[in-house]
Amino acid sequence: MLALSLALYLLALWKRPLLYAGLVLQVAYIISRGIQLERLPLVGPHDTLIFLAASIVAFSIPFGVLLKEKKQFFNVVTISASVFTVLVMISKQHNSPLPPVLRTFWFEFHVVLAFMSYALFGIAAILGYFDLTAKESSTEGLHYRAVLIGYCLFTLSMIFGGIWAYLAWGTYWMWTPKELWTSILWLFYSFYLHARLSQWWTDRPMAYLAITGFAITMFTYLGVSLLMKSSHSF
Amino acid sequence: MTTLLKRFTNILFSLRTTLWLSGFMLALMLAGAFIMPSQKEFETIHSTPMFEWLKIQPIAITWWLWSLIGVLTLLTVNTLFCSVESIIKKRKVTRWPLLISPQIIHIGFLFMLFAHLMSAIGSYQKFAVVQEGSMLRISDNVVLKVKDINIQSDYNGYITDWKVGIEYLKEGKELSADTILPNSPSLRTGFNINVKDLQAYPYEAVLLQVSREPGAVWALAGSVLFMVGIITLIALKIRMER
Repeated sequence: MLALSLALYLLALWKRPLLYAGLVLQVAYIISRGIQLERLPLVGPHDTLIFLAASIVAFSIPFGVLLKEKKQFFNVVTISASVFTVLVMISKQHNSPLPPVLRTFWFEFHVVLAFMSYALFGIAAILGYFDLTAKESSTEGLHYRAVLIGYCLFTLSMIFGGIWAYLAWGTYWMWTPKELWTSILWLFYSFYLHARLSQWWTDRPMAYLAITGFAITMFTYLGVSLLMKSSHSF
Repeated sequence: MTTLLKRFTNILFSLRTTLWLSGFMLALMLAGAFIMPSQKEFETIHSTPMFEWLKIQPIAITWWLWSLIGVLTLLTVNTLFCSVESIIKKRKVTRWPLLISPQIIHIGFLFMLFAHLMSAIGSYQKFAVVQEGSMLRISDNVVLKVKDINIQSDYNGYITDWKVGIEYLKEGKELSADTILPNSPSLRTGFNINVKDLQAYPYEAVLLQVSREPGAVWALAGSVLFMVGIITLIALKIRMER
């Protein structure tokens, strides 16, 4: 199913409807994992990466509708989703039962919202890239929207995480690498949203911020989990 | 003097100041993100209130935290001044929700900062390994007694569920009973009692965690305000575009 969705994504570089077919297949895969595991499949790099890949494609659809140069935008989205799908295929599945502390809707919402916001930050980065390279009019308004909604979801994810942490571990905040990098990410996008109100930060600087933000997002998601010791690790 | 005061207030009311302070904060947190995992001293940061912990740690590893506190103080003042100035300047607008919603976001942010301040002054975590029948003094006159420990495992040995029955005693008399479940701690007079770890073999035992988190309510209130503000702002922007 994963290999087929990857093939569909790659073929979508020529025929865009295949992108949506690939998305449907990945959603079906996520649902089948959920049925197999009898829980929301969002633990470990395998399950989280597929969710991210599918979310990027899903969120790209409403933004793509508003663009003039749709083909280039969807090509970059397709390549991004393909890269994540390849990473999914080389990642080990996490099939062991969830420890009791993870069996709560606070955890489920915390993770779902986090990855939806990562996908929106990714869309913003792609739109920022187009701002720097494409000939069409500025996409700053669009990547601002992607960041604003992503920021809202990310904040809600942090709140759910804080509530869960208080119930599970007695504190809403812990000084661990993951929490610190999450705060860096949140503060970065707070900076982005305030910078936009300023006259010196328009067009190209905002595009660079959107791209940098996604780099920080990827380090927060993958870098911290793989390179640093944290209670938040996969 | 007037010129100096005017210059000072211009800086305080400035978005540029907000951006500079946020930039400094980012740089400090980035520094901390690399210092923290490499220093063993940070393993004990949760055992005592953070300000107490900071006083006894070498400045070589905590300079970024101290600086962060300073920058946050300035950011708090800047946020307050900018919010008040915004309301005063735009007070005659007809679309007052658009004026108010960013300020509600800022108030939520300030509540969250206050929550962290309260936690830095008064939060801590203590641990104890207990078995059935163990007693633990949690405050001057209240004792916690572990009544029963129930751990369920599957055939692979994974713990699938657990519950710990406890009772609170004062001068030998039962005040109340409670059950600690996964994600369901026992809350008593500012204390949060939960289970950090469990052992089923060779005998059932739990690592009980007793923590105090005075900032929790402020953090929750700040979060609610923040979300109300940001959702209102997004909804208003969508409405304006249509």
